[in-house]
Amino acid sequence: MSTLKHKGKGPQAITANGLRNGPVVYLDPNYQWSTSFDDALISEDPDIIEKMRHAGDAAENANLVVGVYFIDVSAETGLPVRYRERFRTNGPSYDPGTPPHDSFVPTFIGG
Amino acid sequence: MYRYDEFDHEFVRARTRQFRGQVERRLKGTLTEDQFKPLRLMNGLYLQLHAYMLRVAIPYGTFNATQMRQLAMIADKYDRGYGHITTRQNIQFNWPELVDVPDILDDLADVEMHAIQTSGNCIRNVTSDPWAGAAADELEDPRATAELLRQWSSLHPEFTYLPRKFKIAVIASQKDRAVLKAHDIGIQIIKNDLDQIGYKIFVGGGLGRTPIIGKELVEFLPRIELLPYLEATMRVYNRYGRRDNKYKARIKILVTEMGIDAFKAEVDDEYSYLSPSDIAVSKDEIARITSYFAPPAFENLASSDADYERARRKNIDFARWAQNNVARHKVDGYAIVNISLKPIDGAPGDITSAQMRVVADLAEKYSFGEIRATHEQNLVLPYVKKSDLFALYMSLQDNALQADNIGLITDIICCPGMDYCALATARSIPVSQAIAERFSDPVRQQTIGEMKIKISGCINACGHHHVGHIGILGLEKAGVESYQIKLGGDGSETAAIGDVTGKGFSQDELIDAIERVVDLYLNNRNDNERFVDTYRRIGMGPFKEVLYDAA
Repeated sequence: MSTLKHKGKGPQAITANGLRNGPVVYLDPNYQWSTSFDDALISEDPDIIEKMRHAGDAAENANLVVGVYFIDVSAETGLPVRYRERFRTNGPSYDPGTPPHDSFVPTFIGG
Repeated sequence: MYRYDEFDHEFVRARTRQFRGQVERRLKGTLTEDQFKPLRLMNGLYLQLHAYMLRVAIPYGTFNATQMRQLAMIADKYDRGYGHITTRQNIQFNWPELVDVPDILDDLADVEMHAIQTSGNCIRNVTSDPWAGAAADELEDPRATAELLRQWSSLHPEFTYLPRKFKIAVIASQKDRAVLKAHDIGIQIIKNDLDQIGYKIFVGGGLGRTPIIGKELVEFLPRIELLPYLEATMRVYNRYGRRDNKYKARIKILVTEMGIDAFKAEVDDEYSYLSPSDIAVSKDEIARITSYFAPPAFENLASSDADYERARRKNIDFARWAQNNVARHKVDGYAIVNISLKPIDGAPGDITSAQMRVVADLAEKYSFGEIRATHEQNLVLPYVKKSDLFALYMSLQDNALQADNIGLITDIICCPGMDYCALATARSIPVSQAIAERFSDPVRQQTIGEMKIKISGCINACGHHHVGHIGILGLEKAGVESYQIKLGGDGSETAAIGDVTGKGFSQDELIDAIERVVDLYLNNRNDNERFVDTYRRIGMGPFKEVLYDAA
């Protein structure tokens, strides 16, 4: 039974984490998953949002992603509305990891 | 230090095998996330903002060079080349992949480590004084008691599904270096009028969204009664602790709602039904556990060392480091070395794999192989000869580990905040860095003296902001990070919860605001009075004025 609901206002995107490897992922226009928000499918169309919901549920059921949810996207900026979600698109602002975050490509198997 | 016996080895291996199977079932889909989540949490695996996070237990903060090298190997092989020391003396990795976690747990088991009791509603990893076994002021090594509690609490069937997580700390000195009274149960090893050693027990302390200082439950508990009495206490909590509301489920809420006297009456009643002899551990077993913490083979040395004193006179940087980072040892000719993980531009508590290997080498060379993690997110080499201090310092300097700020304004406790944590409402690392940058001048730091700044990126208070001399809480206000300031908190034996100054500050305003608070203190202090003492003397009024009227 799906618990994935869209309660937001305005344009929507879908995000999750990859199940096997953990990276932040967004549903893209091909209904595949991308680790970049730039690729995210953003829509206000109720029919497309319904398809996005199906795709999110299906990916969760197929053990591809975990913790799927809709996020509100600003029509003006094209960025997530909530501060937390804007922040999440970029990765940490301080990252001592090697390689540094800008060049770090998270693994995502599937999608 | 404690070494695994056969039982420990088998138990940890069995748990790892079990988790490997659970991960396989999760990936195949025969376990749903709802089913899997409590299982992964029992093995220290969280799903954070950007990735999974694995929290590895360091029981009472004690580990050795071999274990540190293995952590470095894990950081390189499975993560991104660093680890993060937490306020519960553990270490966490920010970027592991789920598929690798069973292998990581196997690698940890190879060096007698695991991630059990680092999450979930169980009795968590027991914490202690990071100077245990070395502190000049301790009655005995508190780790023997901490280890006894570890063995008692690990997978205790009755206490595996508590209403909420449960944190215990043990110290053995008047000075509190473990924030005892912010724990669900705090145990202080004391001596009574008859010169017998026993335990003073505090209960119901905690930070989080409802900060409460622990209250005294027992003034003096004879040693042999410790486990039975704790068992009675846990039973009362397990029975009456709230399960309807996660935010009211900690023992502190129960103790507050019942009142300490009524709570104690319940515990004493429960205790009267127990057969202490069924639960208490034999003297032989206590002796066996204590023997693991026998002091290392200290040499007979003079209390002062001429070469060390000469190096202090000749090298001003070394002198400053020695003044701030080196503490008095209980054995003549030895010192406790605090390695600060608070470089001005770093994230508090972060350590790279290369630095881990350096610390492991230094521990082997100079400290009988032993290392400690502190709740203030630093490391300790507990048994260093004074004559080795200068050479040790030079190696630290070569590896960017020479920060000389222990206990000073830039020795900040800071949670990962929104940079890493899924619960956070604001970032905390950049705030910590900006404060450190503003106060980076070592002379100014020295002038300010003891100052505990603690920063949390949400109300759950992992960064201990309630007990910071200056506490900072990051919140999100209308899509922007906003920071509330608390003053006068204290995490030591004179524990106190800080007072909120008023409305929050933006990240830009905050650092100036902190500076105004510090300047006001410097202008008003008597002699060498600490910040927190000045605050207690002059009160909130003048600080509020410089924070809000001057701006």
